[in-house]
Amino acid sequence: MKKSLLVIVLLLIGCAPWVQVGGLYKMESHNYSVELPQGWMRWNKGDQLLITRDGVPLQNIQIIRRNIEEPLKYTKRKLSKTMLPQEAAEVILDNVASNKDISDFGLVENTPLRVSGISGFKAIYSYKTKDGLKVKSVYCGFIQDQWFYGINYNAPERHYFDKDITTFENVLESFKLIKTA
Amino acid sequence: MRYAVFVLFLCFMITGCATTNLPPVTKDSKFEEDEKRLWLRSEEEQKALNRSGIIYRDEDLDAYLNGIARKLQPPEVYARIPFQVNVIKNNLLNAFAYPNGAIYVHTGILARMDNEAQLATLLAHEMTHATHRHMIEQFRDVKNKTAFLATLQVTTAGLGGYGSLAILLGTIGTVAAVTGYSREHEAEADREGFRLMLNAGYDPTEAPKLFLHLKKEVEEEKTKEPFFFGTHPRLTDRVENYETLLKTHSQGHQESIQNTEIFLGKIRRVILDNARDDLKAGRFKIAERGVEKYSKIESESAEAYCLLGDIRHQRGEVNDVETAKDHYQRAISINSSYPDSHKGIGLIHYKRKEKTLAKKALELYLSLSPQASDRAFIEEYIHQCQEGGKE
Repeated sequence: MKKSLLVIVLLLIGCAPWVQVGGLYKMESHNYSVELPQGWMRWNKGDQLLITRDGVPLQNIQIIRRNIEEPLKYTKRKLSKTMLPQEAAEVILDNVASNKDISDFGLVENTPLRVSGISGFKAIYSYKTKDGLKVKSVYCGFIQDQWFYGINYNAPERHYFDKDITTFENVLESFKLIKTA
Repeated sequence: MRYAVFVLFLCFMITGCATTNLPPVTKDSKFEEDEKRLWLRSEEEQKALNRSGIIYRDEDLDAYLNGIARKLQPPEVYARIPFQVNVIKNNLLNAFAYPNGAIYVHTGILARMDNEAQLATLLAHEMTHATHRHMIEQFRDVKNKTAFLATLQVTTAGLGGYGSLAILLGTIGTVAAVTGYSREHEAEADREGFRLMLNAGYDPTEAPKLFLHLKKEVEEEKTKEPFFFGTHPRLTDRVENYETLLKTHSQGHQESIQNTEIFLGKIRRVILDNARDDLKAGRFKIAERGVEKYSKIESESAEAYCLLGDIRHQRGEVNDVETAKDHYQRAISINSSYPDSHKGIGLIHYKRKEKTLAKKALELYLSLSPQASDRAFIEEYIHQCQEGGKE
């Protein structure tokens, strides 16, 4: 009995809503479209779109749209409609750095970037996971009306980060808002 | 997380069972192997901490703090425990001592103090943990030492956003800073520390005040910090103990050194830097309180007015932007070559689409601070101002 229960649980876990992707992907409910890389797997979790090729710990790209009124998970600071890209970047980076599960956060670069024609930021940073793995990330984001859009790439610094950075840049380049104010 | 809380609870249970009593360190004290190993480990953790980049570097301040520490202990104790006070650049309410006499005081707690007597209270409390060998007493009371240390390492993983700081403090540092010692050990540190500050001629009425301030702040701000001096029950204990000691032990005490001006003069930079860290963490009220405290010491400071402007600008509540603008303008009137005030004004104009004014202020900022870390962003804003469009 216990064994069959375990099998059912394992099957259910195995059936996480991962879908193979490739090509144009429209997220009308979140007002954006993006070209997803061929052969990667996608998982939509709430406001977050997560894609990976070899598994989330090895490389992942996340696209998120969140209401700026919504509190961030780790920082006390809040986003606001009137924030400039640099100010939004500071809040987002503080949120990343305040995550209890990471250590050795280090900012490599924080520069302006236009995403879908809107002024935003591009931050590159690294950190260590609880298991001591050094991860490098790129976080691009911007605020449009009451929404914050973030496009984020994470991969182990050694070997994996360089492998898929071009894929991430292509995803970023293809990101478009469907309707702009 | 639940596991870590459970482990932490276990540690408190263990530390609550302290029974071993060792005599305080004297010049003739000889340490056994386990205590020597504890010292060696402390030294290793201390070296790692000093290399970590979180030490607040200010030679004058270090000399001052160590001078106060020397007043509290006789030279023969110093000969056996070479006390060394350092400051950690971190806005949490925390201070702790390693068994070998290395004492670390966070900028957060230092910035909250009013005078030298309060500093002496804290240092004397921490020194007592080392002179009265609380760490080894605690260690000897645990049967399985290896498991005890391993358990504590796991505990650091459950410290929320402060986990990475706990990693830097090391195992012994975390015991001293987070779990603290048993109530008996802490009460002994209060008692002996009070005696030391009293003997050094400090005003005993100041002893409970520091902890009262901290307790009030923790209550007002509803702050949840994991470190010893940031937790409400531990602060309540300190206040009660020092108030009792004040009633019973300070009768007939003649001297009452506070050295408020000297103290505030020495830590004024810490107050401002700490306020900046509080702003970074979104603790607007605490940050503003810090700058106001600094302004009482240094009334005409462009840097302080600019920081007040940043606090209001970032908080963004009703009338905050106007107040921020006033602060920036005041800063400019005090020192027109301080770059950040021009940036603050420039960004306010930029947000209001007052492009000409924004461009002028932002260009001035860059000319005064050519190496600014946010140069790329500012250049982008200037570029936007040049693109035309309605003002």
